[in-house]
Amino acid sequence: MSREALQESLSAVMDNEADELELRRVLNAFDDTQTRETWSRYQVARAVMHKDLLIPRLDIASAVSAALAEEQAPAKVVRGPWRSIGRLAVAASVTVAVLAGVRLYNQDDIVGAQLAQQNSQQSLSAPMVKGPAVLANYSESSDQATGPMANGVLQGQPGWQDQRLPGYLRQHAQQAAMKGTESPLPYARAASLENR
Amino acid sequence: MRVLPLLPLLLTGLFVLPAQADEARDWLKRLGQAEQQQSYKGTFVYERNGSFSTHGIWHRVQDGSVRERLMQLDGAAQEVVRADGHTECVTGKFISGLGDIPAATARQLDTKRIDDWYSVAKVGDSRVAGRPVSVIAFTPRDQHRYGVELYLDNETGLALKSLLLNDKGQLLERFQFTSIDTTPPDDSELKPTGKCRPVVAADAEPPLVKTSHVWHSDWLPPGFEQISSTVRLDPKTKSEVTSLLYDDGLTRFSVFLEPLKGNAVPDTRLQLGPTVAVSRHLTTPQGNMMATVVGEIPMGTAERIALSMRAGQSDPAPQGKP
Repeated sequence: MSREALQESLSAVMDNEADELELRRVLNAFDDTQTRETWSRYQVARAVMHKDLLIPRLDIASAVSAALAEEQAPAKVVRGPWRSIGRLAVAASVTVAVLAGVRLYNQDDIVGAQLAQQNSQQSLSAPMVKGPAVLANYSESSDQATGPMANGVLQGQPGWQDQRLPGYLRQHAQQAAMKGTESPLPYARAASLENR
Repeated sequence: MRVLPLLPLLLTGLFVLPAQADEARDWLKRLGQAEQQQSYKGTFVYERNGSFSTHGIWHRVQDGSVRERLMQLDGAAQEVVRADGHTECVTGKFISGLGDIPAATARQLDTKRIDDWYSVAKVGDSRVAGRPVSVIAFTPRDQHRYGVELYLDNETGLALKSLLLNDKGQLLERFQFTSIDTTPPDDSELKPTGKCRPVVAADAEPPLVKTSHVWHSDWLPPGFEQISSTVRLDPKTKSEVTSLLYDDGLTRFSVFLEPLKGNAVPDTRLQLGPTVAVSRHLTTPQGNMMATVVGEIPMGTAERIALSMRAGQSDPAPQGKP
């Protein structure tokens, strides 16, 4: 590499006009004291031209280089594995926290495991339940939610439900009452259905 | 050594908690006994979202047999007479054919089982129908059942008031005595009125349980067991309706399964006070069925049960008794 080319590159770096290649060339050559001296001379010239304040003999770069060289190499080696383990630990604890959060959110400590099982079962036996039933039904029932859910009174839904549900409600109340302890509560429930 | 003064405090804390639970358990035992041994007559109110009614009750225990008459005091005169768990006569629309449920041996409160799914504790003292009562709270241990507060008479152990609460602590229904008298009612008070139609015992032939009527649930809320299963021919639609009854010691729900004869039926969700009804469409090898879950359980739980109903025996382990 010619001296002149390097000096041109140095100049370009100083004017902030160097391309990638020139910057690399300068950085490679920077270990050379001659290059560094040229660099500081250019700096002085530039400071004079721009009328900047300059501390001429301050060579921070070499001081930093020296400090880096003195740094103990083994320290780096030791830190490596611990760091990766540490990262793993952080990742694991975040996962645990998220899982715990989800569990708490579900308030489902007892059936947690069963829930997980159930989910897989349901997806397996999906063909038994008609199609994407859940999604479709949820949207549909949200329409209805404003009706019967709002006031707790069975609305006159035409057709099947209208005929069947009152009977089912009555049958449940009566069965519960029959099977029950002697408490009159299920009877009262059944009677309240008749009053509608 | 500064911890030492705290030690007695900690120890008493340890002992007080089990003592409370034990006390609640004793109360439950008393409740179970009271229902079998105590005669009484009185009036109570029943309130739920959209309904409020008043009722009279006459309950007599004589030589170990229980006889009871209930009469609604406002609106339509609903009346029921029961003897030892059998319904003898009833007014209004009674579902015929229910008599073939095996004679209901009055189930005692199974305190141990209840303890598994509810935390039971005495939470205070109060007064109902002019009598001092103890308040026993049943707090569910999961989100699949409602909480119950029972107000038990200090003298007899009878439940004078019962509240059903959802997970947000909102009141779903109230059952409360307004007056009670522990003198046994006499024969005239237990005699049904003329409008009370006797319940005829259903046809003696045992209900046919074909394989097409065998059902199981892939998922049940923990603690619930099937306590009965019946197949009934609906007189109107001529279709066979399978009904299953489940119980966790305190709460019950029913599942009804009915074949759909080519009708397109929308799925439904309905809440009537404490009672929820969820209908879901099922496609089975025998054709389209409608599964309807009815009970005093949260909507989400009912929905999940309805979606988990399957035809046939459960393969790994049979759920409950047939």
